[in-house]
Amino acid sequence: MVSWAEKYRPRSLDGILGNAKAVAELRAWARAWEEGRPEVKCLILYGPPGVGKTSAALALASEMDWDYIELNASDQRTAEIIKSIAGPASQVSTFSGRRRLVILDEADNLHGTYDRGGAAAILKVIKDATQPVVLIANEYYEIEKPLRDACRGVQFRSIRAQTIASLLREICRSEGIDCDPEAIMHIAEMSGGDLRSAINDLEAAARGLKRLRLEDIATSERDVKASIFKVLESIFKGESARSALEATYQLDESPEDLIHWIDENLPVVYSDRDLVKGFECLSRADIFLGRVRRRQNYTLWRYATFLMTGGVRAVSSRVRRGYTQFRPPSLWKRLGQTRKARSVRDSAARKIAAHCHVSTSYARSELLNFVGALLNSKKIGATVAASLGLNIDEIALLTGSAPSTKKVQRLFEDAQRMIEAEQIAMIDRGLKVEERKTESPEEQAAKETSKDMSQEKRQRSLFDF
Amino acid sequence: MNPTTLHAHSEGILIYRSGESVLGGVPIKEEIWIEKYRPTSLDEIVGQPEIVRRLKSYVATRNLPHLLFSGPPGVGKTAAAISIVREIFGENWRDNFIELNASDERGIDVVRTKVKDFARMAPLGGAEFKVIFLDEADALTSDAQSALRRTMERYSATCRFILSCNYSSKIIEPIQSRCAVYRFRALTPEAIEKRIRYIAEQEGVEVTEDGIEAINYVARGDMRKAINALQAAALISDKVDMNTVYQITSMARPEQIRNLIKLAISGDFAGARSELDDLLLVQGLSGQDVVVQIHREMLDLDVPDADKARMINRIGEIDFRITEGANERIQLEALIAYMALTGLSKSTAT
Repeated sequence: MVSWAEKYRPRSLDGILGNAKAVAELRAWARAWEEGRPEVKCLILYGPPGVGKTSAALALASEMDWDYIELNASDQRTAEIIKSIAGPASQVSTFSGRRRLVILDEADNLHGTYDRGGAAAILKVIKDATQPVVLIANEYYEIEKPLRDACRGVQFRSIRAQTIASLLREICRSEGIDCDPEAIMHIAEMSGGDLRSAINDLEAAARGLKRLRLEDIATSERDVKASIFKVLESIFKGESARSALEATYQLDESPEDLIHWIDENLPVVYSDRDLVKGFECLSRADIFLGRVRRRQNYTLWRYATFLMTGGVRAVSSRVRRGYTQFRPPSLWKRLGQTRKARSVRDSAARKIAAHCHVSTSYARSELLNFVGALLNSKKIGATVAASLGLNIDEIALLTGSAPSTKKVQRLFEDAQRMIEAEQIAMIDRGLKVEERKTESPEEQAAKETSKDMSQEKRQRSLFDF
Repeated sequence: MNPTTLHAHSEGILIYRSGESVLGGVPIKEEIWIEKYRPTSLDEIVGQPEIVRRLKSYVATRNLPHLLFSGPPGVGKTAAAISIVREIFGENWRDNFIELNASDERGIDVVRTKVKDFARMAPLGGAEFKVIFLDEADALTSDAQSALRRTMERYSATCRFILSCNYSSKIIEPIQSRCAVYRFRALTPEAIEKRIRYIAEQEGVEVTEDGIEAINYVARGDMRKAINALQAAALISDKVDMNTVYQITSMARPEQIRNLIKLAISGDFAGARSELDDLLLVQGLSGQDVVVQIHREMLDLDVPDADKARMINRIGEIDFRITEGANERIQLEALIAYMALTGLSKSTAT
């Protein structure tokens, strides 16, 4: 059974909704490929999930009658694998002589141990490519700078609820489902501009129905929310440890997620000694979660679940009544908000660590401030930026100024000039080494003989001719 | 190509300096003093005379057993590893040398892939063997160490390991028994003074007597810290004295950690947690970084000694739990909540 999201994936670029500008850019680029050399060999399609980036890439291939090859995050993407698959694919066109589009999905997800070297490998693939390459990413700035520089970014935006609703109506029509306009609008608005999730929600609510009403959706949504809040209710206000634990049986959340809900609301409900004891219990539960992560022994989850529910309930002898407004975990939201800052910080720390022979964590906690102070020095700031190879975001972060400020811009540009000068120096040095070699007498002699020989050879062959 | 690797070939720069520029290129100068003054030969390593003498005998025979360097940070372990490799392999030492930091790549996969890949390739340029320098090897999980043990054995014909660690007790026995173990000691104030004076002279910086004392106090036997303190102080003034040194060290001491502790002890859990989230999520410190910094602040804290002992006991417990794979945010929250006990017991007493 094909999911609706797959079944109704657009087959042509005209079917891509709400991103006319991006589609136009894609077409222009594809035309440039057909006519010969395009300005850039690679595009980065970026934007939030579910707005049609992958669909657009696939539709482009089918519209241009190109073959395509796709690599996504579920494949392990070490440098080796990328080179072996995308490398040849991007150089050799297919037997039919058709072009082949190389699609690298989730290109902002290349860090971590497993994809080490992946970004460098992609850069190399792009530089050597004779076939069109498309990278797909959620966060443009999560992609490493050199990679961004080698490509052109094409932005995909979230899709308006009205646009989503009109597509959902069309799907209902072809599935033979009669649907209330309010129901459709509700799904469209809930999706937050994510078309794929809207289609999934529609399918979940409507598959098998003849008629879809607002109640069908509203109830299913309310149920999910009710259950987590019910569990929190019995953890913090229930009668006993047992009832707190039993409330989790109906819950569709893993202990890994549940602990963050409890963690968020513990300080809302408990205070003073209860708070201390509550966190003691929660941190014990967390130890078991850690053991499960390490050993993959899921039977240990039962201890974690009891400690975080019944255990937390038991530390307080007070019975609490009345209404508490429980909150969803702030952690996930903050993680999203701070992702860019963290990734810039990490990449700066990695560069400093490699240069100064220390671990990334040492660089992060001990050297970031120090290097910031060096960068702020008029005398050596640019040299330090150059020797570490810092990009503009990293310089901004370390000096504590915005990337757009004159100071940061100048530091970065001066550093770039120095890097170029050094690259020339490396070539220079290559020449010097050559020169030095010719000066050594044995080699001089060896060269002379070989010169004679080659002359001899040439003459003889001329003569023979 | 990465510019940092380019300019790290300092021999290249030497060759270059001996002649004139052909194309007008200029190599990037090293301005970070811990690297500018990193020893390039064993003779330059200060404060470890016995170890240096033994290491030199390896250079003389051009052979090397597996080595294990243990000792506190900043006493010359990395410098010794790099120097010995440079002296044995000469100009092209980088061809047969790889440096990995185990605390960045703690898992068994590193041993299975990176280490093994490098180990099984034949040495280049007619060298007898190649050298893998595994820094902070005590950060490797015990599984990874066991895997390493087999790798060390299997490729011992073509590959030597230099492991460095803070505590040799964290290295499993079978690995220790395969290595010659060298214990580096914290540097004496005299050894640090000698090097600091040398660098100051090269850089045209004046350092007063009490400036040296202050640097020694801050560094506590760690040369890296000492040199960083000197350079940071020299940024403020050409004359480095006690005041300039303390000025920069108070700057380096994170205000935020102190604030977090203050809020936690006063019972403002929400305030302390918001500082914690900023450290973990915005600044990207690891949980362990935060634990270490909280611990560092503990001694100077204005609370009764009994409370200090209690809190340090708990900090140690949290540190251990995080090492064992617990969630750092939840554990640190528990620590923050626990710190409030001091304030609580005070209020119940009065």
